[in-house]
Amino acid sequence: MKNSISQIKKALIEKKISVSELYDEYLAKAKSGNNNSFNLVIDRENNISSINDSQNRYDNGNPLLLDGIPLGIKDLFCTKGIRTTASSKILSNYIPNYESFVTQQLLNDGSIFIGKNNCDEFAMGSSNETSYFGPVINPWKNKNSQKDNLVPGGSSGGSAAAVAEGSCVASMGTDTGGSIRQPASLCGIVGLKPTFGSCSRWGIVAFASSLDQAGPLTNCVEDAAYVLNSINKHDFNDSTSSNHQREDYLVDINNSFEKKIKIGIPSDYLEDVSDDILNQIDNTKKALSKHGIEFVDVKFKTTEYALSTYYILAPAEASSNLARYDGIRYGVREDGESLDDIYLNSRTKGFGDEVTRRILIGAYVLSAGYYDAYYRQAQKVRRLIKNDFQRILNEVDFILTPTTPNEAFKIGDKLDPISMYKNDIYTVPTSLAGLPGISIPSGLSKNGLPLGVQFIGNYFEEKSLLQLAALAEKELSFNE
Amino acid sequence: MSDIDIKRISYLAKLKLPSEKEEFYSNSLKDIIKWVDNLKKVDTSKTEPLHNVTEKTVSIRNDEVSKSNSVDDVLSNAPERAQNFFKVPKVVE
Repeated sequence: MKNSISQIKKALIEKKISVSELYDEYLAKAKSGNNNSFNLVIDRENNISSINDSQNRYDNGNPLLLDGIPLGIKDLFCTKGIRTTASSKILSNYIPNYESFVTQQLLNDGSIFIGKNNCDEFAMGSSNETSYFGPVINPWKNKNSQKDNLVPGGSSGGSAAAVAEGSCVASMGTDTGGSIRQPASLCGIVGLKPTFGSCSRWGIVAFASSLDQAGPLTNCVEDAAYVLNSINKHDFNDSTSSNHQREDYLVDINNSFEKKIKIGIPSDYLEDVSDDILNQIDNTKKALSKHGIEFVDVKFKTTEYALSTYYILAPAEASSNLARYDGIRYGVREDGESLDDIYLNSRTKGFGDEVTRRILIGAYVLSAGYYDAYYRQAQKVRRLIKNDFQRILNEVDFILTPTTPNEAFKIGDKLDPISMYKNDIYTVPTSLAGLPGISIPSGLSKNGLPLGVQFIGNYFEEKSLLQLAALAEKELSFNE
Repeated sequence: MSDIDIKRISYLAKLKLPSEKEEFYSNSLKDIIKWVDNLKKVDTSKTEPLHNVTEKTVSIRNDEVSKSNSVDDVLSNAPERAQNFFKVPKVVE
């Protein structure tokens, strides 16, 4: 088992290791770059003052929440003075002159950034194969075909692979339709998507603004609570950032529940799934039943419409958000004789196939004559999906589902977009409802690959969600 | 579903698809639009569209002047600049 943040902090406090030694250990792994999990590894000299400041705080006996902890940051967060590309050609030369809200909180809490994690281009993908910088390789291998390179999932595939390979303690990802939870599941780690509105989107390269949410990918549930304590704050720069009072997610995380807990399992999610996936649900159910948790069958009425709704709304918002890339103010410019030619050439050459496809879908569903039939109808169905979740969450405290319909697949295996989109069948509905979801490792497939289960909680109730996930983790934990 | 005019859609999206790729994107779009067409059978006659999922989180800061980006900051990533401006080919004769 890898060391948790609290174990690492203990070792730093007890001087068993220095901040500098800790950093070098992770830096060396990140630099070896076997899995292509980083688009950029930050030079040691750029971090030296942070390392020294952190060591001083340990020496003075007042370390901060994440002091000295080496983190990976998905290359979708703007980092001041550090190249931020969204894994796209069009942003491949972009150096932000400001820091995203979320990464600023992590810096304020003493963490040290190892580098920028590879991801799908503009976070559009479920396998990390759409990155301009090439696919990320899952550190796990199928025990029955060891030589095959597998996908880490996506879009936060570099973040998940980096945590799993041990080149950072935790990584910041973003989740629009499953981009934290799905790669976490395929790489055998923990991934938390907080409630929409919890963590500010300010400074995150925008994909679909009504869905995008930042969250941690970590080795254990407690680490997710550490990171959430740092990043879950109100921010005036994001008008959808909620200004409710935040809780301390670490306190009580290992306590048992005071009241009786009821968890719903949507039976319609489990039709036609493999034994491997069913086993994950059964194991989780058995493990938690020992703690007096009750499981009931629940039925959604809207599941079959979730992916369609998502693949109208997300591309519509993306086509609008990505209109800003024009080759004029920042990013890569392709020459042209007129201003219009510059726009056309920069965009056409700057975006990859999947991003182009989604921009086109978005432009289509927003265009005159189709807006009401597709975009507006999808927004209405989104309300029905939200209502459906609220109805279920009036009956039960949490919902348990698989995180993914399958284990990690081979790089290059899924060529048609729709079969790729179906990877997010269990994560997309939660995203549309805006609810928090966490994926934790629940066991191994017949091929020896990690699989995860997803717990879904009510709005802004990350505290009890983490508590439940920590309890399940204790029962289900597997050693590599 | 009506036919997809890929030339018109790419024009709207400010993209100039190479002719050999037009069919690829056109077929791909057709498949996806056909796949999402199942939404049409959902009765939403009494349903309002949902824009912001948490619906009550919008918060507005006080309108106070603060110093943020300098001109040099804003222009630091410009592919071409001239003094304090972004530089583009001549637009007006």
